[in-house]
Amino acid sequence: MSARNSAETAARDLSLPGATGEGAGDAHVRRAGRQLIFSAYGALRAVKLYPVENAAVQKALDEVTNQSKELIASEQELELRMSGEFIFVNQTRLRLDLDNFASFSHLLALFRASGIGRVTIAPNVGPKDWLVFLSVLQSPTADDPADRLEQLMAKLQSAGVVAFTFAPPTQTGDGDREKAKERAKRTYTQGVAATRELMASVRIGGSPNIKKIKRVVQGIVDQILSEETSLIGLTTIRDYDEYTFTHSVNVCIFAVALGKRLGLGKLQLYDLGMSALFHDIGKSRVPQSILNKTGGLNDEEWRMIAAHPWLGVLAMFQLRGAQEVPYRGMIVAYEHHMKVDLSGYPRQIREHPLGLFSKIVAVADGFDAATSRRAYQTVPFTPAQVMLEMRDNRHRGMDPVIVKAFINLTGVYPVGTLVVLDTFELGIVHAVNPIPDMLSRPMVRVVSDAQGNVTHPGTLFDLADRNENGDYLRTIIKTENPERYGIRVGDYFV
Amino acid sequence: MKDPEPLEPPGSTAPVEELLRLISKAARAHQLYLPNNPIYRRAIDNLRAGFAPVWAEVDELMLTIGESEIRWFDAPVAGERGNKSADNLAWLFYKDGVRELTFNKGFEENEVVRFLGLIQRARKGSPDEDDLVTMLWEADFAFVHYRYVDLLQEGGVGELADGGEIPPVGAGEIERGTHDAVQESRASGFINMADFDSTLYFLDEREIEYLHAELKREYDKDLRVVVASVLLDIFETQLDPEIRGELLENIHTLMVYLLTAEHFSGVAYVLREGQMTIQRAEGVTDQHRQQLVELAERLSAPDALSQLLQSLDETPTLPPQEDLAELFDQLRPSALTTVFQWLSKTQSDRLRPLLQSAAGRLAAANTSELVRLIASSEPDVAVEAARMAGQLKTQAAVTALGKLLADANVTLRQVAAHTLAEIGSPGAMQALERAIDDADRDVRVTAVRAMTTRAYRPALARLESVVKGKRVREADLTEKMAFFEGYGSLCGEGGVPHLDAMLNGKGFLGRREDSEMRACAAIALGRVGTPKAIDTLRKAATEKDIVVRNAVNRALRGPGAHET
Repeated sequence: MSARNSAETAARDLSLPGATGEGAGDAHVRRAGRQLIFSAYGALRAVKLYPVENAAVQKALDEVTNQSKELIASEQELELRMSGEFIFVNQTRLRLDLDNFASFSHLLALFRASGIGRVTIAPNVGPKDWLVFLSVLQSPTADDPADRLEQLMAKLQSAGVVAFTFAPPTQTGDGDREKAKERAKRTYTQGVAATRELMASVRIGGSPNIKKIKRVVQGIVDQILSEETSLIGLTTIRDYDEYTFTHSVNVCIFAVALGKRLGLGKLQLYDLGMSALFHDIGKSRVPQSILNKTGGLNDEEWRMIAAHPWLGVLAMFQLRGAQEVPYRGMIVAYEHHMKVDLSGYPRQIREHPLGLFSKIVAVADGFDAATSRRAYQTVPFTPAQVMLEMRDNRHRGMDPVIVKAFINLTGVYPVGTLVVLDTFELGIVHAVNPIPDMLSRPMVRVVSDAQGNVTHPGTLFDLADRNENGDYLRTIIKTENPERYGIRVGDYFV
Repeated sequence: MKDPEPLEPPGSTAPVEELLRLISKAARAHQLYLPNNPIYRRAIDNLRAGFAPVWAEVDELMLTIGESEIRWFDAPVAGERGNKSADNLAWLFYKDGVRELTFNKGFEENEVVRFLGLIQRARKGSPDEDDLVTMLWEADFAFVHYRYVDLLQEGGVGELADGGEIPPVGAGEIERGTHDAVQESRASGFINMADFDSTLYFLDEREIEYLHAELKREYDKDLRVVVASVLLDIFETQLDPEIRGELLENIHTLMVYLLTAEHFSGVAYVLREGQMTIQRAEGVTDQHRQQLVELAERLSAPDALSQLLQSLDETPTLPPQEDLAELFDQLRPSALTTVFQWLSKTQSDRLRPLLQSAAGRLAAANTSELVRLIASSEPDVAVEAARMAGQLKTQAAVTALGKLLADANVTLRQVAAHTLAEIGSPGAMQALERAIDDADRDVRVTAVRAMTTRAYRPALARLESVVKGKRVREADLTEKMAFFEGYGSLCGEGGVPHLDAMLNGKGFLGRREDSEMRACAAIALGRVGTPKAIDTLRKAATEKDIVVRNAVNRALRGPGAHET
């Protein structure tokens, strides 16, 4: 291992790596690399939509060929490398933003699904090579995930395409996966602890340690940027006694993940995460007896609960110290229960449209709250029910584009959903499928067999897998309430 | 057990030691000098050059941060044992938890200045401010990597468990449940295709554009103004006096922040909307109403406003004029004194018109305050107040201005005379009339010219006594001309004999008046303008004295000819 690699590994072990590669390499590679990704994405769509002879296909293939040749001519080599959520062209990391995230994430997902970690493109690459490669890349396969890259290479070879050389992703061993999970757990528990301390401090009128909160949000942003699955999995933990704190951390995680999906930069995600973590801080000024009341709430008690958005603004004024005032957080706290038509609560008098961060937090908050068991909601809704409600019921007042992006993030069946499979098995959704077209076929951990025997930790399956006839091996029949089957979903993510 | 062998550096430590010395020097220069200072530039250049010998030895420079020493492999390369001051880079990083810093090629060109800025921030920062770990995180360096221990978080990974108590369910029951669900699904044959159509959840270009615009709006919006509007909204909707009291404190705090940040349009917004709140909010206690009123009053109070105007006067870059205009629009009458004080002493040509405009607005709306200030014991204030009264033609100020004409201060009398002339009403003229006899030449001239312009006949007697008296002969030509013009404008035919005598007559031993007096008489006759006066002028048309002849000719051409 090189000194550099060991430094990076060590830095990762300490949970907060410095940014890698951003800014390295010249602007030309970054610009031409982005253009290559756009062209490849355009060609992918053209190949999928039109017959090969179509002029649009030919034009798109010519474009991606020219882009790649141009890069090879200027750089003497062309290698695309996938690392986490990033694409590197040679040694240069391409900048991900709102302009390009759709093409980046589509390509990344396809490469990931085919087991490609790196592809080197030869100088003699031509439109036909690209046609074959892109067609094979998006054709469904029944192969075992581990064999997919080998199969892809075999298909290209049999078609006489030799302009691409592939390598699998850098292996993530079980040890690394465990470390990633440990890091996620550490981030999560520290988040809950810091939020608890924050709320307690505000409740007694003290001055909470904002540095801790910042560190937590930085950890969440880093985690989401490098490997979001573990952290999102932890949002399924439903600690009844700690609801207010876990809920704040969950909303922060969902908001940051959604922000990433929307193409926000690192510091914007940080702003968003800070605002999200503080969104319910007003509850620290609502009597605990009301927050924890298990029976129905009377009008006055509801009024006090509904006061938490504006109480949040007051609470955040209490946080001001020598540092900056959390204005953005105040606005998000105030607006997160408002609807896009400005109804909802609190009532605006001086009208201003809701901010993007408020809308993101509203969706994250609505989802986590509805799927959680808490004092005044003893039977939570299933994640899929909530998702459909947010999508279909416009009276909820959520921004439809944000909801759409949220479903794109979590899949049709969000992480933690208990599903009945057509194999009579029960499964818990573990992660959204990396193949973009497979949002309704997530990665599922099967936790009970066809005879109803519960297993722990269960076995992970990709619902996009098919048998030799091309039929899916497992399909979701319906979603279920885990309590009905005596299953605690969170246990499978800890 | 033996200690492990110390790690040997791959090359000489001298270049690394020198580099760290250069970092310290550059950090000091960064703190002390502006970027265009030659000392600063040299320090940065030296630091950049200092990396070259290091890169000749290694591809990256990984430094271990100890409590008071920095080590390269196991060799100390910087620091001083026991030195726990911010001057010691080792301690500066160590105290915040940074334990390793790695520099990569490219750092010296791309990020060195930002890195020095970060060191400076860390050195100057108070304990409440961000620590170095947060600063490094936010800086998001591409060529610097770091490791740290988190000093803020206690303990390791806590226990995580799904806390809900859920009674276990037997395998048979699960089997029944899943089988029922599958059978039910198969029997109904119903599948909501929308739930399975993944493409529904991809954002199209229009939606991406929408998000672009939303993100831009999120970062463009004026957070402080939105928070101000939120606080005022809460004030209007929440009737609890305790909450309202807290809100008012926060609004006051916010206003101070806005002022500190020179966000003047924001301050104006708070003041303007605060007034709206007073009118609109229900059940506001007298105390809270008073506090809201005082928001604007406080800014208009002499101390606060003086500070503001002083900072504006001294700032090299004045905030946008429209922002200041918005702010000054919110000042109260009590601000007039301070505004007048600053009108006379501001050095800023951009600030003055804004102050004038604010003073005009305040004075127009508060005449009694303006009149009161004309009598101010502070001459600068009285002068500005009097001038403003003139601009506004404030009739109510005549009495105060008349009193000012009796003041010992010449400047005040001059301004009062000008102002009364500007007001020009009969009352103002009456007050101004006695200024014809003022001890100051400018006051007299101003008064006479006003009488002339307004054709104020009651002043004729005074003018005649001056024109016929000795005093005018000692005056300079301008004053003489003013008096004779005034006399000529008011005297009519009755004055012609006297003027004729001055222009054409001969005195004792055949001596004539001096040229200036004769020329002035000619001008006065031109003003009289009657046939008799013209005849008188014609008699002198062939006068040898060129001064007199010119005056006569101009007078013959008509009123005002002497001015061309």
